[in-house]
Amino acid sequence: MRIFIRSAAQISIQNPLCDEWFENPISYSQIHNRSIDPDFKAFIPVMEARRMGRVMKRAIVTSKSVIPEENRATLDAILTGTGLGSVEDTEKFLNALLKNDEEMLPPSNFMNSTHNTIGSIIALNFKCHGYNLTSAHRGTSFDTICFDAYLQFLKGAKNILVGGHDEMTADYFALFDQIGFWKKESFTADILKESSTKGTFAGETAVSFWLSAEDGGDSLCSILGVDLLYKPSQQRLQESLDTMLAQNGLSKNDIDAIVLNCNGDVENDTISREVAEAILPNVQQLYYKHLFGDSFTMSAMGLYISAVCLHRGEIPAHLIYKNGAGNKRPRTLLLHNHYQNKDHSFMLLSV
Amino acid sequence: MAKRVVITGVGIVSAIGVGKEAHLRALMKGESGVGKISYLQTKHTDIPVGEVKMSDEEMKLLLGIASESVITRTPLMGKIALKEAMQDSGITDASRVAFINGTTVGGMEKSEKYYMDFFEGKNTDYIAAHDCGAGTEMIAETFGKFDFVTTLSTACSSAVNSIIMGGDLIRSGRVEAAIVGGAESLSKFHLNGFNTLMILDRKVCNPFDAQRNGLNLGEGAAYIVLESEESAKARNANILCELKGYGNACDAFHQTASSPTGEGAYLAMKKALEDAGLNPEQIDYVNAHGTGTGNNDLCESVSIQRLFGEKIPHFSSTKSLTGHATSAAGGIEAVISILALLNDFVPGCCQFQSPIEETGLMPVKDCLKNVDLQNVMNNSFGFGGNDSSCIFSKIR
Repeated sequence: MRIFIRSAAQISIQNPLCDEWFENPISYSQIHNRSIDPDFKAFIPVMEARRMGRVMKRAIVTSKSVIPEENRATLDAILTGTGLGSVEDTEKFLNALLKNDEEMLPPSNFMNSTHNTIGSIIALNFKCHGYNLTSAHRGTSFDTICFDAYLQFLKGAKNILVGGHDEMTADYFALFDQIGFWKKESFTADILKESSTKGTFAGETAVSFWLSAEDGGDSLCSILGVDLLYKPSQQRLQESLDTMLAQNGLSKNDIDAIVLNCNGDVENDTISREVAEAILPNVQQLYYKHLFGDSFTMSAMGLYISAVCLHRGEIPAHLIYKNGAGNKRPRTLLLHNHYQNKDHSFMLLSV
Repeated sequence: MAKRVVITGVGIVSAIGVGKEAHLRALMKGESGVGKISYLQTKHTDIPVGEVKMSDEEMKLLLGIASESVITRTPLMGKIALKEAMQDSGITDASRVAFINGTTVGGMEKSEKYYMDFFEGKNTDYIAAHDCGAGTEMIAETFGKFDFVTTLSTACSSAVNSIIMGGDLIRSGRVEAAIVGGAESLSKFHLNGFNTLMILDRKVCNPFDAQRNGLNLGEGAAYIVLESEESAKARNANILCELKGYGNACDAFHQTASSPTGEGAYLAMKKALEDAGLNPEQIDYVNAHGTGTGNNDLCESVSIQRLFGEKIPHFSSTKSLTGHATSAAGGIEAVISILALLNDFVPGCCQFQSPIEETGLMPVKDCLKNVDLQNVMNNSFGFGGNDSSCIFSKIR
């Protein structure tokens, strides 16, 4: 089965709603970064926006950017991946709860605190009664949703919106700092590649995709397969990839590059490199988190940059993690993602 | 032709007991587990809830987990339910089995306790135990190895959505078996949240009654083992019933309220019927979402009338017995629906007195026994209009 990515939009720590990162990426050396937001007023009426946290506003903007108006109400599914949902609202409610000793609490922060608020506010905005699902599974929240999209297309879906959305507040950043998520020292993108220390740097994610059963002539690329695996052995990973390739009449030699989730955390990156070397030895390796930072759903950005590279038929030098075999005008890419070497995922993409 | 998905095991923990035998007894007698708060630390002790009648320590003891181990309440309940479901199914090797868990509150019940400590570098082990997926993985560890593990979070319909994804996963051929459902503990966070929305009843809730006055929160965990018919037959498993069909739709009306026409609920039930290839009159019992709030019960009644017309099947809500276990509710009620189906009874809305004026619908009040049930429907609706429904059928 072939699923077409008809369009994609992102808001991140790179310039939003465009692909300036491709030619002129902004480089960061700060550990805590928040996205560069577009002008929300152009997309959401001011009164409406006032009731929404940033993560929701970004989700509305990227969703509207990818789904043409006439397709919104009739989407077969709206699928959302988010590690923590609206953290800002959750924290506001929790802080008020603790400060006011369970009295005088703001109901709107509670209402917005559930993870599915993002997907349901999109449905509300689109007046879409279709299948609506949210996954909140750590670093594979977005990957789960792509897997579910694959299942929905197998069942005959025609058009699906998928998105990955996470925000990074000051408190959340500080808490994750306590458990070693972030680097202690300053860094550059080049240093990240050779990092021998724990931790990465924080970004935020808002990426939406219009997936369709039809090409429409303007697609960015297509998804040929998605798989999720829990604590897989090398053998199991190999088997999953072989199955995916066989289903599409492809072989490993067709893969032009493997896109890794390397983020400068030595433990994370060691696993990624080991997987790449085991399943696709000598194939060129790409990375993207050095441009976008990390979050629970940053793998959505991995899909985004891969789609852009396939569409343009070009891999910018700054995305190359390790040189190797593979066409410089890529036709087929494999995305690998993992979270703490427990949750793994693959996505096979082609032009 | 899509693969037939059967159920080969169930496991359940809720306010009315631990295990399916305890549930069967309490449901038949109409015994409620809703009462005064005794485990959750909160100042709102006047709000009745359906707590699982065990402390974290007692659950750790039951599970053989060291008292000092870092684990939140949700996965403790989840582990108990998962163990029962696995044992019931007879599956001993989970290496090619999926585990899909529905949860929303995650580790909040510990985060709210240690939040200020976290910033001072104390009890920081609980930071990584906070997110939804962390709880799921702790539950998954009970069996050491699953092939596919994920977490769905659509508030109060999370568990039914995991049943739906499990069904799709098996029909697609990706796995032969999937353990699906949900787990959720009470937290001060969501008790206060629902309290600010002013939808918590100060007495035992009274779903579908004209005088209903809100919901009672509950907690628990429940899982069902879904399996392809071929796989179940090949290993000579005891097939309990069939997952006949399911549907998910979005109300797309309001963040926390249901539409007056019950559009999302109606569409979810309609899709489930279509998927099952059944007509409305073939449904013998609906285990309704029936929270006891003014808004939900009216909208759900309207949607039931729209779908079933003049011939309304037996319906009831079991939330006055278990409380509303939010993300776990759909799992708990799926197991209750399966127990009803297998034992030919319909649990009742014990508190019921007078019907909602607008619809006049009469739920089952006292447990009905010796009812011939062939197909039962289980509804779960969540904040944001995330509405889902599934249908279980006897195998004849």
